[in-house]
Amino acid sequence: MQSRLLYDIIGLALFAGVILFGVPALFGYDGFELNTFSRYLSLAIVSMALALSWGTAGLLNLGQAATFGMGSYAMAMHLKLKASGDNLPDFMSWNNVEALPLIWAPFHSLTFTLLAGLLIPAAVGGLIAIFMFRARIAGVFVAVITLAFLVAFQLVVIEQQGLTGGQNGLTGLAPLVLFGWSVDIYSLSFYYLVGACLMIALVFGLYLTHSKFGLILRAIREDSERTRYFGYNVANYQTIIFSISAGLAGWAGMLYALVLEFASPTYMSVSFSLAIVIWCAVGGRESVLAAAVGAILVNLAEGRLSDVFVEGWHLLLGVLFLMVVMFMPRGIYGVIVDAGRAMRRKPVSKKEAQPFETSLNPKRES
Amino acid sequence: MDVVLNQAFAGLSMASILLIIALGLAIIYGTMGVINLAHGEFVMLGAYTTWALQNHAGLGVVTALPLVFVAVAAVGWIIEKVIVQRLYTRPLDTILATWGIGIILQQAVRLGVGAESRFVRGPQWLSGNIEIGALVMSNYRIFVISFSLAILVVTWLLMTRTEFGMKLRAVIQNRGISECYGIEAKKVYSVTFAYGAGLAGIAGALITPLFSTIPTMGTGLVVDAFLVVIVGGLGSLMGTAAAALLIGEVTAIFSIVINDTLGRIAVLAGIILLIRFRPRGLFPSDIRR
Repeated sequence: MQSRLLYDIIGLALFAGVILFGVPALFGYDGFELNTFSRYLSLAIVSMALALSWGTAGLLNLGQAATFGMGSYAMAMHLKLKASGDNLPDFMSWNNVEALPLIWAPFHSLTFTLLAGLLIPAAVGGLIAIFMFRARIAGVFVAVITLAFLVAFQLVVIEQQGLTGGQNGLTGLAPLVLFGWSVDIYSLSFYYLVGACLMIALVFGLYLTHSKFGLILRAIREDSERTRYFGYNVANYQTIIFSISAGLAGWAGMLYALVLEFASPTYMSVSFSLAIVIWCAVGGRESVLAAAVGAILVNLAEGRLSDVFVEGWHLLLGVLFLMVVMFMPRGIYGVIVDAGRAMRRKPVSKKEAQPFETSLNPKRES
Repeated sequence: MDVVLNQAFAGLSMASILLIIALGLAIIYGTMGVINLAHGEFVMLGAYTTWALQNHAGLGVVTALPLVFVAVAAVGWIIEKVIVQRLYTRPLDTILATWGIGIILQQAVRLGVGAESRFVRGPQWLSGNIEIGALVMSNYRIFVISFSLAILVVTWLLMTRTEFGMKLRAVIQNRGISECYGIEAKKVYSVTFAYGAGLAGIAGALITPLFSTIPTMGTGLVVDAFLVVIVGGLGSLMGTAAAALLIGEVTAIFSIVINDTLGRIAVLAGIILLIRFRPRGLFPSDIRR
């Protein structure tokens, strides 16, 4: 356990070095490239958030995009109000909204927005979690409930045109002013802001997974029934990690809305939510660091390859993903861990390496 | 009142399509515990096969049905052999793998046939309407409804009255013991997966005259069909039928009482509540697991 912590810290230090110094130097401090990379970094946060709930606690949340979207709308609402000045936001007058709706009013305040982008998704995630886990819903059903919630939530957002801008989302945003610093999204300092957020999220994630709390979560993932018999309140642990994961996703959403300068209902689409699952699976869901790396690598590949293979890119992505699921179920992380183990030890014969299991009746979700 | 009746009829025809899709999904899920997210793409393949048959061989929708069934079942059989079979011990990973398969199929069709929507003519001899008072029922929709009922009966007979069905039920109950009795579970799985895929193909062929055929058409359908399976209860054919009827009708009625979007939201909310309080579905089968 101690050595794993050491490896994770070394990994994080390397990652931080590459992201904070390597990448800007490599791209010659070019504003456009830095902006593209800040986008990848904000997506890395939502991927590591999923690794916390999926990889650590075994809760496959297919609705991660919903909480991500909430964060992005919180930020976009603040910036939209600022762009509109004393007038109503433009799309509201198109939809015959007379006065500023009540839930928009507090978003004039930056402090409220930053808190809301973190706490509202966390609260919503917590409520869904309480609703599910008190009834001991597990496995596939968690995926179905979160997926249904995501679809319903996206429909609501599109439906409420006067409140959310409907299908178009929120566009024409003002730049964010943070402590008197007007954020230029093509600047190096903005890149460092996003990078710092990612690093804080990763340190927090690593702290959680290496704490006793993380250990209990892994126990729940392996056998929730047995953990319950040991006297742990499984539902509470699941609720807390689900809520933390949702909060982090909201935070990532805020950054994403800043980077792209708009918020749109496509952030809450099923395909976006499943894309997050792909990044997380490719990197390795057991490690928050690996999940973040996975998000950056897949998006980087998408950015480069979709220029070359405009048509076939999605096909390639599908094949890549299928290969990862079939041959590298633990992602890149699993490959590295296995390679490291193989180097340190003499190869173990296959028979010993497999945990003892009766193969007559393969265990499955019911 | 007329609006309600007509809407109820539209709901019924939607329910019958959902039923065929969900039956395939339910058999695959009930037998192997595999959640097949590529099922919507099987529907899409069925639709494109129908379009190809009509454009290149001049076959009508109804004549094309057996060919479509065989073609899509073959695709399903290959996918089961090459990919799904390796993942039976990892049920959660099958969600991801089948979703990857879905992307591949969808993109392959987009590259091969093109992204623009295709249209298939409905059969001439089913073009009229039957009118009872204010209720207007198109012949084609009546055909779809009766055909889906026929498929339900055939599937039920297959499960309960044939040797294959008996083997299938044995494998569902206990794979290990069935293998001891000489049932080749692997073979049963392959055939079941192919049959489920073929049913999806038939559903795809049947909806071509009603919807436009585009590469992404399956994505929305699979979510609905999957919800039908969960609501109906695992491994229960009649439960699946009842749930398809329920969800099709409730969506149709809600969409006139409130509106389309809110109706859908209400159905989704209802389903979430149902899973929470009756996770085994409305009509769970009493199979021992």
